[in-house]
Amino acid sequence: MADIVRHGRLQTLPFPLRSGKLLAALTAASALLLATPGAALAANNSNSSSSKSANAKTSGTKAAKAGGSRASAKEARGAKASSGANKTQLQAKGKRSAVAADNPGATRPARKTARTAAPLQEASGAEARLIGVYELFGRGKTREALAKAQTLVRDHPNFQLAQLVYGDLLAAQVPPSNAMPDTAGIARLRGNPAMVELHEESRRRLQALRERPPAGTVPSQFLTLSTRSRFAIAVDASRSRLYLFENSDKGLKLVADYYISVGKSGTDKAVEGDARTPLGVYYITSSLDPRSLKDFYGAGALPINYPNPYDVRRGKTGSGIWLHGTPPQQFARAPLASDGCVVMANPDLKQLLRKVQIGATPVVTARSLQWISQPQAEKETKKFADSITAWKDARASGNEAQLKKFYLPDFQRASRKPVDADGVLRDELTYAQGKRVQIKDMSYLHWRDTEDTMVATFGEVFEGEKNGRTRRQYWLRQGGEWKLFHEEILG
Amino acid sequence: MPAAFPFPTNEVLSAMPKSPRPRARFSFSPTVRALFLAVAACGAALPALAATEHEEVDRLMQSGKLDEAMTKAEAFLKDKPRDPQMRFLKGVIQLDTGKRAEAIAAFTQLTQDAPELPEPFNNLAVIYASQNQFDKARNALESAIRTNPSYATAQENLGDVYARLASQAYSKALQLDQNNTAVQPKLAVIRTLFTAPPAAGSKGSTLVASATTTPAPAPAAKAPAPAPAPAPVAKAPAPAPVPAPAPVAKAPPAPAPAPAAAPVAPPVKVAAAPAPVAKTPEPAPAPAPAAAPASNAEIESVVRGWASAWASQDMDRYLAAYGSDFVPAGGQSRKAWEEDRRARIVGKSSISVNLENLAIKVDGQTATAKFRQVYRADNLNIASRKTLELQRSGNQWHIRKESVGG
Repeated sequence: MADIVRHGRLQTLPFPLRSGKLLAALTAASALLLATPGAALAANNSNSSSSKSANAKTSGTKAAKAGGSRASAKEARGAKASSGANKTQLQAKGKRSAVAADNPGATRPARKTARTAAPLQEASGAEARLIGVYELFGRGKTREALAKAQTLVRDHPNFQLAQLVYGDLLAAQVPPSNAMPDTAGIARLRGNPAMVELHEESRRRLQALRERPPAGTVPSQFLTLSTRSRFAIAVDASRSRLYLFENSDKGLKLVADYYISVGKSGTDKAVEGDARTPLGVYYITSSLDPRSLKDFYGAGALPINYPNPYDVRRGKTGSGIWLHGTPPQQFARAPLASDGCVVMANPDLKQLLRKVQIGATPVVTARSLQWISQPQAEKETKKFADSITAWKDARASGNEAQLKKFYLPDFQRASRKPVDADGVLRDELTYAQGKRVQIKDMSYLHWRDTEDTMVATFGEVFEGEKNGRTRRQYWLRQGGEWKLFHEEILG
Repeated sequence: MPAAFPFPTNEVLSAMPKSPRPRARFSFSPTVRALFLAVAACGAALPALAATEHEEVDRLMQSGKLDEAMTKAEAFLKDKPRDPQMRFLKGVIQLDTGKRAEAIAAFTQLTQDAPELPEPFNNLAVIYASQNQFDKARNALESAIRTNPSYATAQENLGDVYARLASQAYSKALQLDQNNTAVQPKLAVIRTLFTAPPAAGSKGSTLVASATTTPAPAPAAKAPAPAPAPAPVAKAPAPAPVPAPAPVAKAPPAPAPAPAAAPVAPPVKVAAAPAPVAKTPEPAPAPAPAAAPASNAEIESVVRGWASAWASQDMDRYLAAYGSDFVPAGGQSRKAWEEDRRARIVGKSSISVNLENLAIKVDGQTATAKFRQVYRADNLNIASRKTLELQRSGNQWHIRKESVGG
């Protein structure tokens, strides 16, 4: 039985922050405290005023409910791409549906073990600069941190977390004796419930940068990816992170990762309007011209094929799940903010837009990604590939009863006129009986939740011919046997 | 949360120090006034106090005759165009008359010609802050402090600017609209050039531009006890290095770390002076007048100690400020009164007690301190006039009577 290896835990890189005297002196800097492992706790012991930040650290899922200003942006769909989801999604707004347990809080702060790896994954752009501020602060260089934060907010005034960090650094400079009205205002602003979301964003950004995928591993869904997919995307909702991989004949290579936001109510979308982000294996289906979209979607939008056939099979509803950008007034949004879309900062999305291929770039959205080594992925591949080979052989042999075993009774082939299992059997036998067919450009994407599924995409080439069908098949494992429940002929 | 911050209005601010440590504010220059009053009290001293032109200009400014002050300043600058003190005063007049751009130019030029002076940087910051340019204000104040790290007015102004910037950043972080709530923090303008000694007593005077002054007034001896002027004596902050806006700085700031060192009337300075300027004319008579004003300082320190004990909820120290002969108002017994005070003070999450316009009158073994008391605790914010009557017993002063009003 193919069990996905679970021990592919994320590596924890040492984050070069020094807690100590400085922090005691700067307990005011609440977002920054989060940057330093254990600092919030230490500060909490010494100064009760910092308890808020300490709380923020542990109240990850509560953050979603805080319903601060960031959650208030309407997730109204762009007119052109509207798919009728509007009303229900808006109605669902006020609902306090349970927050998915995205954030088990299981990850421990950085352990100072082997100082082998690079200190911190290099992050891109604004986030990298923000992290630079954290690091300077952690090394006690508050003046430099303040200066860097100042230029960061100058360049990205709508980067709310950067503003918070900048505010923290400034507030730390205010002498305790200052009784200005602003000082009272600061205390009140810090107590604003929406702060919790920013602290959570801070925590997740840092966690994602501190805990890196082990070298040479890939998300467990990517068993095999044809080089026709030059890129692949995996979203880890628990980390609010999107990982971008470049694919070549050498395999998948992580090339970038970005902070993202998911649905207000978390993940595991089930019904239209539940403000959740779906979990599963998807493909980018198009790229929407930002000029046709409302400002709200920022630099563009990449719809994915939710609900996919597996979702439909399980009765999931809803539509219009996109990867999209942020509105002009927000550089980034809270970790749990959308109505189900995956939201990225516009500069990040722009990088992505240049790389994705419509129909060919897979998007895995997971509650929490598992990382497996290449050999493990190959082993998993082989187990499944045997089923494909058996299916192909049954078809070639012309044995209808044998072939039928590979199809679930409710199988459907998607086409203008959907074809059922019987129709497909006849078609396949006519199409391929007695011929030698080679399978190429295989992509096997494995998705497991309560059931075990595989999305297999491949091309067929008949001996002596140049072209054949390109298929995307949806397989479900039942009683130890892989069976087809859906198929699309792509070309 | 609505984006409404409880910023006081400008009017309030100009009348009320914002921090527990009262700071030199726009509208007064205590030493000048105290001096003035002392002088008035004994007319004989007047000729000897013939003011320099700087003082004259300053005095005109104090009395609101800005046009006249400007005329004088400009006349003076015709002869001595580089004189930093007068240029500075001119800048302050421009600031007072709303000529911000000119004031900026004047102060900016001063920062270039005399970068060692913190005051022009400070005043530049005040203008920038009034124009909502808090980053520029911050830079200017940081320059002021680089110049003189112990410059308290600049330090406090900088604290205010940081607080404002932090508040702005937090508002942006939360995407709160701050435009409709943005009342300026009003920073303290420095009225005259004067640089406090870097460290108490360590060096001699570092009077910068004002060492031009007349010799310390001989009549010091003649203005003995009278320091009585219920003048704004005690306005200046307790911390020693405070740039008491002592205008022309007749005497170097008393480097003594004693609280209230700076603010008291000139005779004290002469007397107490480790006289860096060493112009003290008659060392002999000094000790005599010293006694009386020293009492003033003593009273002030008692009153401030009382307020700080109250604010810090230090009941022992607070109650100890009251003498055994203290009679609670309203016929309460001492014990009942103590209970009452305890109940009202202990347990508040925070208390601040600011004293303003403290006026002290010493009369032998008794003294009166009148002031405006700004009391804040939790949600309360009460300002009232208060009079404390004090009695000396031995070397100690105690509160004998406390009354509201007066």
